[in-house]
Amino acid sequence: MKIQKLFQKTLFGVFSLFGVISLSTSVLCVYTVDTHLSEEYESNSRDIAKTIADSSVDILLNRDLSALQSLIDQFVEIQSIRYIYIVDEEGAFVAHTFVPGVPEEIRTGDRKDTATVERSLPGLGDFVEVGSPILAGVAGSVHVGMDTDLIALKIQRAIGRQVYLISIILVIGVLAAIWFVNLAAKPLGDLLAYAVALARDQDNGAEDKLLARDDEVGQLARLFLYFSEGVHAEGEQRVSAGNDS
Amino acid sequence: MRAITRRALLRSGLTWCAAAPWLKPLRAIADTDARPPAPQMSPGVTDTEIVLGVSAAFSGPSRGLGIELYRGASAYFDHVNEQGGIAGRNVMLKTYDDGYQPAPSVRNTLKLMLQDQVFLLFGYVGTPTVTRVLPMLKKFQDRNIFLFFPFTGAQPQREPPYGDFAFNLRSSYRQETAGLVDNFVRINRKRVAVFYQADAYGRSGWAGVRRALKRYGRQIVGEATYRRGTRFTASMRRQVEILKASQPEAVICIGSYAACAAFVRDAVDLDLQVPIANLSFVGSENLLKLLSHWALTEGRGDSEAYTRLLVNSQVVPSYEEASMPAVKEYRDLMRRYNPQPPIELLKEPYRPSEHSFVSLEGFINAKLMVEILRRLGDKPERSQLERTVFTVQDFDLGIDERASFGPDRRQGLQQVYYTVVDEGRFVMLDNWEDRFA
Repeated sequence: MKIQKLFQKTLFGVFSLFGVISLSTSVLCVYTVDTHLSEEYESNSRDIAKTIADSSVDILLNRDLSALQSLIDQFVEIQSIRYIYIVDEEGAFVAHTFVPGVPEEIRTGDRKDTATVERSLPGLGDFVEVGSPILAGVAGSVHVGMDTDLIALKIQRAIGRQVYLISIILVIGVLAAIWFVNLAAKPLGDLLAYAVALARDQDNGAEDKLLARDDEVGQLARLFLYFSEGVHAEGEQRVSAGNDS
Repeated sequence: MRAITRRALLRSGLTWCAAAPWLKPLRAIADTDARPPAPQMSPGVTDTEIVLGVSAAFSGPSRGLGIELYRGASAYFDHVNEQGGIAGRNVMLKTYDDGYQPAPSVRNTLKLMLQDQVFLLFGYVGTPTVTRVLPMLKKFQDRNIFLFFPFTGAQPQREPPYGDFAFNLRSSYRQETAGLVDNFVRINRKRVAVFYQADAYGRSGWAGVRRALKRYGRQIVGEATYRRGTRFTASMRRQVEILKASQPEAVICIGSYAACAAFVRDAVDLDLQVPIANLSFVGSENLLKLLSHWALTEGRGDSEAYTRLLVNSQVVPSYEEASMPAVKEYRDLMRRYNPQPPIELLKEPYRPSEHSFVSLEGFINAKLMVEILRRLGDKPERSQLERTVFTVQDFDLGIDERASFGPDRRQGLQQVYYTVVDEGRFVMLDNWEDRFA
């Protein structure tokens, strides 16, 4: 598709503008989705940890630990929750979901601390761990590990969908721009061809159409014709004057 | 000739009217209203059948447990049905497969209770499944549906808040683990590590070991876990390495046969030469079958190397003890009926064991179940179940322990047996010192 030189800059401008919009929207989207999803997951995990902590009091005080294990097994089925462990008031594990065993980093760390921490566990991945005290901490604490890799994957998917949509809009937009530019440029091309034909005193076949237009192109065509006829008349006068002399 | 009086005419007219056929339906209605209403049959009971609901593992790596338990129970029920049933009713099992997974187990139980309307639930397999089912029994407690003799020794169905909805026959994991720890400590193997299934069953056994060691002022020296459903082909080397690092003097496994056999295999291969104990739930014969087959096919030849250090606790006596009447009867009936698992539930081929601890347990469960159903009389009702179970006192099941129940005793038997492998089969362990000291 041939694009008139006059509009190439316009097209480049459209491309650039769309590019900037796509890029800035994607960056904003990454930031927003990342922040919101992370906050949401962390909030959910904290709620889960609190729910388990509240439910654990009765089980820890009155019932067998298998009931506690059964409880956390149900929660660990939730996607993005990768591990849960419960320690008693002395920090000893009373239930957990680790296979093949409790990771060294958790085993040797401060298990009574319920502050949110980021963990990188070899062979398991990266996690954000949130904690909740049981009976204000006097009966132990619950710790829930969220898989940040999984959250990152979800963010990637969300962003991927957004970028995909923007890319489709970009392609459609550019194609539409090219079509519109060509639509606008065609009368100018015809006018140029007409002007060249007039200069050569030829008939280009599009004369009637151009002269009939009521827009600027039509006015220019009529102006070219007027000048051309003037030049012709002047030229004929000069020729006849030359013959007379 | 006597003259017909007006009164006599009236009386004979009334008599004729009363005998008239067109009055029969009205009489029937009147009779029904007059007599006390006939008691309605309890759900799961018809004139010819009493239906018991079963949800157990008939597929997956633990299918051997569900199948063998079912086979043992079926042998006795078949025998009773052949003898005319209970008050003319055959005992039937409505069976579903849960693959030893909690979610299907819950679905099956709902179906059994609400759709199939069984009389009671019987012979469930596994802690993770049963612990999820118990709250449903509480939810439908107004229907008096009880769970009888589940194949698990966990605590939740033995204590509040769900203990009132189940009756156990076998000893608990707490009793099994306490017995194992006591014996290990006695022979001076005090550093005990635990290999367990990462779920409620594993935790129940783990808690039992922890509790038993605490009595000696000791703690579990090392622990490693595996996921439920792990097959024999899986590697347990990492778990063995974790436990080996803790330098244990004995390992107690709380798992099912496929994973525990894999652990024993890798432990022996990695030279962890300490006694390895398994609980009754493991399914001893299937464990032995896997280890022996592996030693044979992998060219290890000496399968004894993999089984010499095994010690399995059991909750029923050995099926080799034919001197016990129940064991003799079990062997006879298993041979006579050779019960097969429900064909529609079998997804993979399974070769049944001629005899096993699990099928013997199923058999003894069925024996006591039949006794309870008999005691319910001609018109079995769910509402009478609990009271009837409590009438079972010092009942002779034909083994070396008598079963008793009561409001504070919802577990019939208390004994734990210990077995080791000799000449390719499980035999009773007589002397811990000689074997493991």
